[in-house]
Amino acid sequence: MVPERVAKAEKKDWAFINAWSLSLFGAIAALFTLCTLWPEPYLDVLSFLPDGLFVTFEVTVLSISCAVPLGLLTGLGRISKNRAINLLASTYVEIIRGIPLLVQIFYIYYALAKFLQVSGLTSAVIAISFCYGAYMGEVFRAGIMAISKGQSEAARSLGFNRFQTMFYVILPQAWRTILPPVGNECIAMLKDTSLVSVMAMPDLMQRGRSFAAKTYLYFETYTIIALIYLIITLLLSKGVSFMETRLNYYDKRK
Amino acid sequence: MSMFRTLLCALVASVLLFSNAQAADKLIVASDACWPPMEYLDGQKNVMGYSTDYIKELVKETGLQMEVRNIAWDGIFAGLIAGQYDIVASSVTITPERQKQMGFTIPYYQVRQAIVVKKGAACTSLADLKGKKVGGQIGTTGIFVVQAAKCDAIIREYEDVGLAMEDLSNGRIDAVVCDGPVAGYYANKKEGFANKFQVAFKTGETEDYGFAVQKGRTDIIEKLNKGILSLRAKGVEKALIAKWMGE
Repeated sequence: MVPERVAKAEKKDWAFINAWSLSLFGAIAALFTLCTLWPEPYLDVLSFLPDGLFVTFEVTVLSISCAVPLGLLTGLGRISKNRAINLLASTYVEIIRGIPLLVQIFYIYYALAKFLQVSGLTSAVIAISFCYGAYMGEVFRAGIMAISKGQSEAARSLGFNRFQTMFYVILPQAWRTILPPVGNECIAMLKDTSLVSVMAMPDLMQRGRSFAAKTYLYFETYTIIALIYLIITLLLSKGVSFMETRLNYYDKRK
Repeated sequence: MSMFRTLLCALVASVLLFSNAQAADKLIVASDACWPPMEYLDGQKNVMGYSTDYIKELVKETGLQMEVRNIAWDGIFAGLIAGQYDIVASSVTITPERQKQMGFTIPYYQVRQAIVVKKGAACTSLADLKGKKVGGQIGTTGIFVVQAAKCDAIIREYEDVGLAMEDLSNGRIDAVVCDGPVAGYYANKKEGFANKFQVAFKTGETEDYGFAVQKGRTDIIEKLNKGILSLRAKGVEKALIAKWMGE
């Protein structure tokens, strides 16, 4: 698969030095050094943040678990031959994709409060999963359409119905192309949860802001916040690439 | 090539000219215009209010040229410390922590913190806030007072006090903490809120507003202090208080 002229890391050959491990261990080392050398501001910042980190995780995990099914449904809707379903899914994508996430969050939390009041957490999960559901819908659609038509024709001629064809033949193959961009969306989603601080949700970003607003230690606070976001997104991206290697059994066969 | 060089020179020259002109002429005053009646936006997006009028009077009194700009509260001090503007006139309470970071003029107004609740809600002291959700503007002394009281309130920090009031009106929080005049404005004057809210109580300790400048800018502080004293002596300050805080 890999063209010959691309440099490949050999197994023995310093394979553990790559962009990912350099960034991760660099970030962890930086965090550790700052906190041991200058515990006065840095350790104080760090000890202020754990509950914020929990909220960030909570919003991310809930949003991912809503956005992925929503993305799958949207993707299926976008390739559906039923005109009503197709129109519904396409309109959803067009509308949501055209409105910034921050505006959606304000809209759901503050504007819709006139008719329906939902908590900060619920608004956050709704806004983020609706937004990313639309993006992921396009990823799912592209992934499914990339599977050659022969696959579904073969499945149908063996007596699979449309549903079985999709779930037993097309989707398992499409996953390989869908997973990397979906993983990418999940990482972007984790970072975008920092927007929920506008609803007074005490997430990682908000905790940092309120610490900085109280102590005026802007440099120290946002250095720590940036390092923590970097570390958790790097761990998430490793998780995604691990899943990718598990799915790439076709490539391994050579 | 020579054309490119001419263009580049012109660009550099204009940038230099522009930045010099700005720095030399006017002192830039930062106000977070969401704190009525101290500083807020009128219908034409002009900053107005007690602090803004005070600055206008100081311009007449001291001869310092000043221009007010609307700057978001979160990070307003970081911008001052970094030198993006010269003065913060945004109902800044003088606190020892803030004095470590910035220079302050003598006080130009005195307030106490107030708790706003929905009309009819029973709440008379900080202790009554136990287990209640209290909103406020991030990084304001109101939040610090509730935190320091250790009354087990759940504190929610909003981008600006208006959003906290909106959530109080929607019933997502039980109370809002802010400076006394702001609480009075929302409870008595602000359209849409005035009949729904009441000021539950004010805390005992007074706080002094000062204009904040970069540390070491004693030149500005001295001129402003002189101006404030003479505005006070002439009764201008009293007239401004009557205008904005009347009733």
